[in-house]
Amino acid sequence: MNPSVTFGGPLATALGLVGAPLLLGVINKTKAFFAGRRGPPLLQAYFDLVKLLGKGAVYSRTTTWVFCAGPIVGLAATLVALLFVPLGGVAATFAFQGDLFLVVYLLGLGRFLTVLAALDTGSSFEGMGANREVKFATLAEPTLLLALLALIRVAGSPWSLSPTLGNISTASSLGTAPVIGLVAVALVVLLLSENSRIPVDDPNTHLELTMIHEVMVLDHGGPDLAFILYGAALKLWLFATLLAGIVVPVRTGNLAVDLGATTLVALAVGVVVGIVESSMARLRLIHVTHLLVGALVLAAVALLLAVGWSR
Amino acid sequence: MRHALDFVLVTLVLTDLVLLGSSRLTACIRLVAAQGVLLAFLPLALTWPELEVAAMALAASTLLVKGVAFPLVLERAMRDARARREIEPFVGYTPSLLVGLGMLGAGTWLADRLSADVVRSPLMVPVALSMILTGLFFVISRKKAVSQVLGYLVLENGTYVLGISLLSETPFLVELGMLLDVFVAVFVMGIAIFQINREFDHIDVDQLDSLKG
Amino acid sequence: MSPSLVINVLWLLPLVAALVAWRLPSVRAILGVILAVVVVLVPCAVWLVALSLRLGRVTAASQWLLVDALSGFHLLVMLVVFGLSAIFAWSYFGAEVAHGHFSLRQARRFGALWLGAQGAMTAVLISNNLAMQWVGIEATTLLTAFLISTHTTSASLEATWKYLMICSVGVAFAFVGTLLVATAAMHAHTGSHNALLWTELLAAPERLDPLLIKAGFVFLLVGYGTKAGLAPMHSWLPDAHSQAPAPVSALFSGFLLNAALYCLMRYLPVVEGAPTLTGFAPGLLVFFGVVSVIVAAAFILFQTDAKRLLAYCSVEHLGIVALGLGLGGVGTFAALFHTLNHSVAKSLAFFAAGRLGQTYGTHDMNKLTRTLHHSPVWGTGLFVSLLALVGAAPFALFMSELQVVMAASHRHAYWTLGLFLAGAAVVFVGMLRRAIAMAWGGAAAATPRPGFALLDLGLVLLCVAALVTLGLFIPPGLNETLVAAARIAGGGR
Repeated sequence: MNPSVTFGGPLATALGLVGAPLLLGVINKTKAFFAGRRGPPLLQAYFDLVKLLGKGAVYSRTTTWVFCAGPIVGLAATLVALLFVPLGGVAATFAFQGDLFLVVYLLGLGRFLTVLAALDTGSSFEGMGANREVKFATLAEPTLLLALLALIRVAGSPWSLSPTLGNISTASSLGTAPVIGLVAVALVVLLLSENSRIPVDDPNTHLELTMIHEVMVLDHGGPDLAFILYGAALKLWLFATLLAGIVVPVRTGNLAVDLGATTLVALAVGVVVGIVESSMARLRLIHVTHLLVGALVLAAVALLLAVGWSR
Repeated sequence: MRHALDFVLVTLVLTDLVLLGSSRLTACIRLVAAQGVLLAFLPLALTWPELEVAAMALAASTLLVKGVAFPLVLERAMRDARARREIEPFVGYTPSLLVGLGMLGAGTWLADRLSADVVRSPLMVPVALSMILTGLFFVISRKKAVSQVLGYLVLENGTYVLGISLLSETPFLVELGMLLDVFVAVFVMGIAIFQINREFDHIDVDQLDSLKG
Repeated sequence: MSPSLVINVLWLLPLVAALVAWRLPSVRAILGVILAVVVVLVPCAVWLVALSLRLGRVTAASQWLLVDALSGFHLLVMLVVFGLSAIFAWSYFGAEVAHGHFSLRQARRFGALWLGAQGAMTAVLISNNLAMQWVGIEATTLLTAFLISTHTTSASLEATWKYLMICSVGVAFAFVGTLLVATAAMHAHTGSHNALLWTELLAAPERLDPLLIKAGFVFLLVGYGTKAGLAPMHSWLPDAHSQAPAPVSALFSGFLLNAALYCLMRYLPVVEGAPTLTGFAPGLLVFFGVVSVIVAAAFILFQTDAKRLLAYCSVEHLGIVALGLGLGGVGTFAALFHTLNHSVAKSLAFFAAGRLGQTYGTHDMNKLTRTLHHSPVWGTGLFVSLLALVGAAPFALFMSELQVVMAASHRHAYWTLGLFLAGAAVVFVGMLRRAIAMAWGGAAAATPRPGFALLDLGLVLLCVAALVTLGLFIPPGLNETLVAAARIAGGGR
């Protein structure tokens, strides 16, 4: 299939590139609001990125090129993935049969390199973080795939993300509501776990023993850390917009309205994440497995139901 | 009503899965009670918009028996036995969830093979079969007597759904008879639990192991 | 006398008597009522069987109830078992009352449940509606559960719980099977409200959907097979049989298992008649039959409890019945004949083991020694019944097993035959070793010897005489019933 390039796709991608750090700001503002603080400015993430990009980096002599490749590949993989993920009803820049596998495995590639970079330091803490990251990823990745497959089955579209999300609209969603609901719940869990949010991981923790994602990137600094932070923001944006596109399917056909609505809902997802983080404590690691298996089961149930439907 | 029906069926599957993942007996009993209430909707949803007397009678008695009476009997048994949790099931909770998923897959596969085309929703037979298998697994994998009764109830709930979905003509008489049977069965099991508790001071079935070979 | 009235009496009388027994003032009265019910019902059943042989089948209650040769034959076996057990209960519980082990409360519960179980089993046998038949089986489970724990001990409660759980789950599977068959029937006879009537199913089995019937029969076999104690679903059976009082054990082995197998016999011709399914159900039955014989043989070798030994022996014999049914032809005849023989022999064995257990205070076979010396009546009863059960000539079980062997060789099923004979040989050696040791071996027990009672002697003589007579020749009336019943179960094969 030829990659279809339209005006909406690049615009959506550009919106993601610019808006992703804003989502972090929304989450932090929400948390600050619930904690009764004023909190950092909404644009703090942008300031951090600029500051980090201006700094130099120090590399340990025990590390190799793998350590440097980690952040770069991680960011690059997420960037490419973003090109294939539609923003609600607005088709992505590129779409082809089977692009969902590419997206899932690009994210996997980014994670793989980050994990390798962490192991490359030889630090026991980073090794432990890598261990946990991979353990949870083995549950999260199949969940994402199953959830996306369920969506495709429900939408009755070709195996590609853009037409799938395009087919999901408020009109058709009543009968498919159970499947969509299950997928949405699974995606919420994935969003929290893949982006190291509470209750899976605490992005603000300073105790290495309890960290998962943060502990892996302890030794990165300067531009490398900026890449990592930006990549993480993009990933969060990616999941938030995916979720927004499913939960509130605004499909007017008007580019500005569709883009605006989905972006707003994505920011609302940020608020929800903030609320979750304010109201919950981090789960014990053993319960995280339980949570992720739950999400996996939900996604699988969704897929089975969706298959049952089309029979 | 197709949407309402699907909603009920999906919720039934979810209660099954949550049941597999929970250890607190009170929660388990509540979940099975919730299943009973959901089951009461099925005969109404199937005959909608006509309100047949038989369907309403079945719905009412299902609600009464599965939604009210069973939870009461079981909570009583649980309180008498002072058992709150399933301490160590033979199969852990997380693996249980995955097994539950497998059961759903197996149910779908079997329903696909059978291709019984009298059903109102393509989900009914798969859901029913998966409930039957899940119930069986629950009976096998748990140690507390109350949990085993719960598993038996899930199994019976599955046959209830199967009966409603397969017998298109006059299902309600058979279902009512079935309900009566299950009612007596649970009552008898309740008495048995009571006696076991009095004799052993616990209801851990895995400690009922004096008879072997 | 109208046939439908008699049919209704068959199952209603025990239920009414159950209610009466609940309120009777003495243990003896309850035991008397149990016996009286059988005495009243035997002529009714014989008359019905004779009638059904003449007419083909007798129906009642707008075809919901049916007596034909197959159900009639099972009715007779059931009444024989209930009758013998009722006589034995008189002597067995009489001894317990004398020792103060059997209170009026226990007796009332026992009487009500016993008669209720009899009513439920009769309902199973005479029901033409397959759903009602299922309800009957479920009812027998629930009613007999507390018969096991007539004496409330921890072991008997354990057995009760296992029986209750395993059989309830198994019977639920049978319900799924019934539903699937009913669905197939509805597809075939659209618009008919009697799709679950066996006679309707049998009228046009070639129109049934084979896939539904196939899946349905698998569920039914697992479900009713659990109740019938076919291996590997037999795990409840040894516990229940060993913990129940002897009359109840005899009832379980003698008829409860057969009732479940009877249900499968009803489905057999239906499944055989369904398109493309010829040979499917018999194949499964042969498989489960052989597995039961082998599993039972393996376990029999290591038993020390007399009643557990007998329980595993039941697994073996039910396996033989299933095997005979599966082989078809003369095998079906043999299977039915074997049902009767096994019921009589096993009842006698449980009576003797129970009574001896009472006086020895244990069922441990290492302590049940010199039984012939200890109690000539029951010692002989145990030894002779064990001889009959291992298939020694000239007892009737030898004849029916021989017929099963013949059926297997007719079918050229030599692997089946080999496995069956190997299993039977192991059982022969394993049980005979125990039987001889119990009869003559060891030292005389120091426990007081039981008093001699004419009733006991009569019971043992009756059973032994029946076993020997049936081994030498089959009375023409019985033969006619068996042939007609085999024709029904075999579907004319």
